[in-house]
Amino acid sequence: MNRAEWMTPKRRFLSGLFRGKVDRIPVGNPTSVATVELMEETGAFFPEAHLDAKKMAALAAAGHEILGFDTIMPYFSVQMEAPALGCEMDWGDKETMPDCTTHPYKEAEDIRIPTEEELLKVHSITTVIEAIRILREKYPTVAIIGKVMGPWTLAYHGFGVQNFLMDTILNPERVRKSLEKLQEISVAFANLQVRAGADAICFPDHATGDLVSPQMYRDFLVPLHQKIVTRIGAPIILHICGNTLSRAQYIAEEHFDCFHYDTKTDIIELKKVLGKNTTTTLIGGINNPEVLLFGTPEDVKRQAYFAAKAGVEILAPECAIPLRTPNNNLKAIIEAAKTIPINA
Amino acid sequence: MVEMREISEALMKGDAEKVKNLTEKKLSEGASPLDILNNALIAGMDEVGKKFKTLEIFVPEVLVSARAMSFGVEALKPAWKGKEVRPLGTVVIGSVKGDVHDIGKNLVVIMMEGAGFKVIDLGINIPVEKFIEAIKEQKPDIIGMSALLTTTMGEFKKNIEALKRAGLRDEVKVMVGGAPVSEKYAIDSGADAYGGDAIEAVEKAKKLVGKA
Repeated sequence: MNRAEWMTPKRRFLSGLFRGKVDRIPVGNPTSVATVELMEETGAFFPEAHLDAKKMAALAAAGHEILGFDTIMPYFSVQMEAPALGCEMDWGDKETMPDCTTHPYKEAEDIRIPTEEELLKVHSITTVIEAIRILREKYPTVAIIGKVMGPWTLAYHGFGVQNFLMDTILNPERVRKSLEKLQEISVAFANLQVRAGADAICFPDHATGDLVSPQMYRDFLVPLHQKIVTRIGAPIILHICGNTLSRAQYIAEEHFDCFHYDTKTDIIELKKVLGKNTTTTLIGGINNPEVLLFGTPEDVKRQAYFAAKAGVEILAPECAIPLRTPNNNLKAIIEAAKTIPINA
Repeated sequence: MVEMREISEALMKGDAEKVKNLTEKKLSEGASPLDILNNALIAGMDEVGKKFKTLEIFVPEVLVSARAMSFGVEALKPAWKGKEVRPLGTVVIGSVKGDVHDIGKNLVVIMMEGAGFKVIDLGINIPVEKFIEAIKEQKPDIIGMSALLTTTMGEFKKNIEALKRAGLRDEVKVMVGGAPVSEKYAIDSGADAYGGDAIEAVEKAKKLVGKA
């Protein structure tokens, strides 16, 4: 074995995640990389790939096998916990994402936290766990990323987004109690995935600058996130869509290992807050709707260089990628990563 | 005497019950519904919109104010009887196929109605056939399409192409919007206008119907 062989995708990714040495900038996908092209190449299509562990694993693995990413992440939507909350589901079709069609909660008291045993009876939950187990066994040297929704996102499912957001003003006590309870589902599901073999956990909690104030983020989420970070037994990657600059200082206080940011956030400014003095590294940098979906491989490479130069530790699409994104644009991220000088 | 300003302030705080009570009281004091609508309710939402634009407030604050506005509009209803008000124009709106998100769209609906448009809200997950049907039946001035997901915003272009094929593209103006949508994306998709938020959507809609 030589030195180049030692630096497997998994070691590269994890080293990058902790701002360590790497042979080249890692490329990952904390959120879904499923596209129609990849579904056609693997024969694993939506909606089956959400509920069949083998198909889920096959489609997720295409991100490594076909695109060359250093990671594999099998949870494609944001809804796998929703059935455990008691939501009814529309699992969508080949080109639409699943969504919950009912929101069972009115009061914090309506939230019943399932035991681990009960959680393991929910099909969507066990599908993710089983897919991670399959992937772990087949890809010992690739970074397997698990994913759980944070309590804020779970509250969107349970109460409905609009009702929940109004409650933050009309009934903050209900919001506080609900988030406190819902964190139990996030933590339990995360640790089940870690036990199944996940190397890191992506943790989307959609309290974005497009929706709520930084004060609300600080008051409702910072203490809760700080607690959750200590309770999950693996590196944890916070994901928030939209512009998050207004709450970056609070994100820094939460001590996530890594933050998956949206390119709507000015990376130069973000890096000033989440820089070398914080424990939180950055993953992302490639815009979805304009660059990956409609741009050219050259556009992708240009943006990858820009992000690396700005100090992003791991390159990735900014969010779950549009289903019609061409493979060639996704492969261009890896091609760029291979030519970016390490201290670019 | 209830001051218009008191109603606006209750609306800005999101105190729906107070808006309803004050509106009823103001009517009983002899104020006209149009006066209350314009100078208390819309005036209040206007300020909410400005604060939203400058990031003083966020979506939850706008939602509770919009809810309070709808309580006020409801309280005005009995007073409109026998008075005809011409709308600025008619808007048919919906979230595109595959998209079940509607907060942004709902805000646009409330703001457009507040500004004096007649709005027909088709709801969520609307296939293009339904938009086409609504154009034929309602003869709107504007079609509004909303998408929150990068996975669904491709529907704009498909739908606009379908309107062309149905020979309806020149009958209506098309507006699109949603969190991931940019002005460039909107125009590239073939839309006439893009609203970055609910306030801007109203401004653009007024321009499209020549009432700005």
